[in-house]
Amino acid sequence: MANAADAHAHDDHGDHYPGFFFRWFCSTNHKDIGTVYMFVSMFAALVGGGMSWFMRLELAEPGLQYLTGGAPDMQFYNVLLTAHGFLMVFFVVMPALIGGFGNWFVPLMIGAPDMAFPRMNNISLWLLIAGLALLLISAFVGSGVGTGWTVYPPLSSSIYHPGAAVDFGILSLHLAGASSILGAINFIVTIFNMRAPGMTLHKMPLFVWSILVTAFLLLLALPVLAGALTMLLTDRNFGTAFFDPAAGGDPVLWQHLFWFFGHPEVYIIILPAFGLISQIVSTFSKKPVFGYLGMAYAMVAIGVVGFVVWAHHMYTVGLDVDTRAYFTAATLVIAVPTGVKIFSWLATMWGGSIEFKTPMLYAFGFIFLFVMGGVTGVTLANSSADLVFHDTYFVVAHFHYVMAIAAIFAMFAGWYYWIGKMSGKQYNETLGKIQFWMFFVGVNILFFPQHFAGLAGMPRRIPDYPDAYAGWNYVSSVGALITAVGTMLFFWILYRTYAAGTKAEQNPWGEGATTLEWHVPSPAPFHTFEDQPDMSGKQPAE
Amino acid sequence: MAKPQQKDARRNVRTALACASLVAGMVGLAYASVPLYKLFCQVTGLGGTPGIEAAAPEQATDIDFTVRFDANINPTLPWTFKPVQRAVNLKLGEEGLAFYTATNNSDHPITGTATFNVTPLKIGQYFVKIDCFCFTEQTLQPGETVDMPVTFYVDPEIRQDRSTEEVTTITLSYTFYPKKSETDGQVSALKQKSTPVDIGG
Amino acid sequence: MRNKFMTFGLALMGAVVSFGSAFAGPAGEVRSAPWQMWLQEPASPTAERIVAFNAQLLVIETLFVIFVLGLMAYIAVRFNAKRNPVPSKTTHHTMLEVVWTVVPILILVGIAVPSLKHLYFADSIPEADMTLKVTGNQWYWTYNYPDNGDFTFDSLMIPEDELKAGQPRLLTVDNKVVLPVETNIRLLLTSNDVNHNWALPSLSVKLDTIPGRINETWTRIHEKYAGKTIYGMCSELCGVNHGFMPIAILAVSKEEFEAWTKQAQQTFASDAPPVPMTRDIAAIDNVETVRVADASAAR
Repeated sequence: MANAADAHAHDDHGDHYPGFFFRWFCSTNHKDIGTVYMFVSMFAALVGGGMSWFMRLELAEPGLQYLTGGAPDMQFYNVLLTAHGFLMVFFVVMPALIGGFGNWFVPLMIGAPDMAFPRMNNISLWLLIAGLALLLISAFVGSGVGTGWTVYPPLSSSIYHPGAAVDFGILSLHLAGASSILGAINFIVTIFNMRAPGMTLHKMPLFVWSILVTAFLLLLALPVLAGALTMLLTDRNFGTAFFDPAAGGDPVLWQHLFWFFGHPEVYIIILPAFGLISQIVSTFSKKPVFGYLGMAYAMVAIGVVGFVVWAHHMYTVGLDVDTRAYFTAATLVIAVPTGVKIFSWLATMWGGSIEFKTPMLYAFGFIFLFVMGGVTGVTLANSSADLVFHDTYFVVAHFHYVMAIAAIFAMFAGWYYWIGKMSGKQYNETLGKIQFWMFFVGVNILFFPQHFAGLAGMPRRIPDYPDAYAGWNYVSSVGALITAVGTMLFFWILYRTYAAGTKAEQNPWGEGATTLEWHVPSPAPFHTFEDQPDMSGKQPAE
Repeated sequence: MAKPQQKDARRNVRTALACASLVAGMVGLAYASVPLYKLFCQVTGLGGTPGIEAAAPEQATDIDFTVRFDANINPTLPWTFKPVQRAVNLKLGEEGLAFYTATNNSDHPITGTATFNVTPLKIGQYFVKIDCFCFTEQTLQPGETVDMPVTFYVDPEIRQDRSTEEVTTITLSYTFYPKKSETDGQVSALKQKSTPVDIGG
Repeated sequence: MRNKFMTFGLALMGAVVSFGSAFAGPAGEVRSAPWQMWLQEPASPTAERIVAFNAQLLVIETLFVIFVLGLMAYIAVRFNAKRNPVPSKTTHHTMLEVVWTVVPILILVGIAVPSLKHLYFADSIPEADMTLKVTGNQWYWTYNYPDNGDFTFDSLMIPEDELKAGQPRLLTVDNKVVLPVETNIRLLLTSNDVNHNWALPSLSVKLDTIPGRINETWTRIHEKYAGKTIYGMCSELCGVNHGFMPIAILAVSKEEFEAWTKQAQQTFASDAPPVPMTRDIAAIDNVETVRVADASAAR
């Protein structure tokens, strides 16, 4: 089986690379585009992370130490927290998991030579970079966007945010959204139409399934955001009144439209992570994933149900009680397919022969920490309980556990897992383990105390707090420091790997690594699977 | 060992177009949500949206009910706007009449429009307006005071519905705004007063 | 079974409380204590139910997390490569898959039933004895008592450099909301500008104030809070001073409330300085009611 695939793994062109400018700025190669996405993500992570570290620095002690109490500094704080949210969601996690790992490994895993539309792939990349530029520029226009990533009117209207900053932010999101929509079309067409012969949908690796479901979510959710953003843009600049009660509009309509996009968005963030974790757990347990079909369709179920639960972000807006009752019930339902996935990962490891290399450490950590974030989600799903939690640090703790910890763990896991294949150099295992433990300790000290602050009533999006919240805030800020050091260590490892890493084997992970990318050399050649392998005899993929 | 062929390329484009039509459809749905949202609230009464009918039912019941009145003014509107009566006690199904009074405290004519809702939100469909000053714009001359009537009834079905049967008091609230085209000059002037911290721009 | 949960829940709460310091703020003040790990003490019927429900949720969720952690610890020890060199090939077990789908469903139904019960309780406004109208502004609250003389006043945060000893930073206001205990209070909320949110953790009240509409809810303060101040903070990002527009309710007996409303009708009608309550330990002398927040002194 391995030989048949290997024979078609790369072509005989002799791997002729284009010149530097053409190769990196006008790329039509899924691997190179994937690489640029990952570097964009890392850059945005440093900017977005830097913003959060500044916020934690200010919040470390009660009183304002680095900001004054004047309006410009208070607006600056709101600009920071807004940009932090946008950067992390749109410019860190999505480019890393979908643009980066998705582009690199979906074609490889299905035995396709590239994506269906390689030039559109590049357009997606540059739209994203342009969107990032506009977001960063918005901070220097007028007084910046100080509305939170949720951009609620009337605060985001031209009355309360005059100047062009919010407009820059809106255009930034339009570009990022267009980037993702085009990318989603590319993935769907690639996955549906370009699988190697014999690879049925039920034989695809789960990472490919996760990208497929994510692509559909992007296709259906992002246009609604685009519509809402355009409505806000015309409200601000062209006299419309979608969200202005003075002229018959409704601020709550924005919230419905935003969260109709916003909730699927968080599944867009986590589903590729789920897919990645399945690959890694299977590889390092040397066992196929338990209950493959259940896993695939659990992701579909999560995606579908994710579209009908949006108003759990709006429980305190003034919705009718029956509406809130429905959304409570629907939100609780999502816990079922999610539980199926958690248990299936555990069952995959059960009976396995597990090697705890760095990717597996991160995957193991992902499972446990996602469960912790998930159970606080169950608490928040209840609209009655939410009366004490909405807009407190309890919510901040919840979503950082599932996004900043779990999704980022998946990103690290994927990097350590695949860096050898991508670069031809392998990371230092000892350093990797140290980085894992430092980051693990750091993020838990950073975010766990925020549950307590929220339970005790500390609201979110404030630069200073009543003195009683000082204790847990100090601990959290210490955690931020440790996390920062762990992040710097990662970048050191990145540098050392590229500069002086040992030569990576074609398959460093052994019998557990069964997907097609391990059948091509490391680094993967410029062109792979120009001739598609015949997968008809193969067992369903793990 | 197939190479991608011409017909595969066409198949790809067809799939891509199908995806693109989904995208276009969702954008359309987003814009359609604007009138649909209003319509949904009007039909179901959700969000405390009152109904509108031509007349009260012929036969009122014997059940007591209270309707309270609340008034708000947007800070950019230099009017005084208050309910004349704090509340009205009436029977379910009986036609009620209440007045609000508005005074233009400025030196130029102003046209106002009002938004409104009722609470508790769940009784929206059972609070029915027959005639309301909010149905039309109100123009007040400088210094002018007008009494603005609203006629309404509370649908006796409210007691049949398990989710609303315990309600005995409804609050009807209006917020008056200046008609949009008139605000532009005034908004920035008022911003100085009500938002003293300069956030630049 | 239910009793076992309740007992365990109470024991867990006891552990949390003793480990993380008591629920309550200083005597007479209902707000967070330093290092507090749990919800603020419930001062209303809704809050009592919500706090208890959250304790039950905590039990269920902690058990689940411990269960998963236990399994993972076992897996790490028993199935690591050294101890288990030959991996099994098991990829299916129908019974297991059925169990781990059905059991969570049962647990979730067990959560949903009380959850919805509490939701409808919190939403159903009983016969109200009085009404409080709350209006959010950038960056202070306006309170109106339509049934008690229809007077209106603003409530602004006191900046740090004007605080007296014992007054909590970022929570102290010039005019507290005075409310009677053991009284059903209808709350009407709206805003004059952007979205704010009027929130009091210990009453389990949290509702957005949206311009152009009123939202309604209710509360009732338990009599043991007479004389105490209950605090909250704005809970919807509303601009630069979102963190600096607190809420302070002074709960008083019904008789004191009657007396206070009579005085308030005079005071707030004439824009004169507010009359301090005799039991108000944060009495403010000779401070003119300031209508506009001075943000630069918000430190």
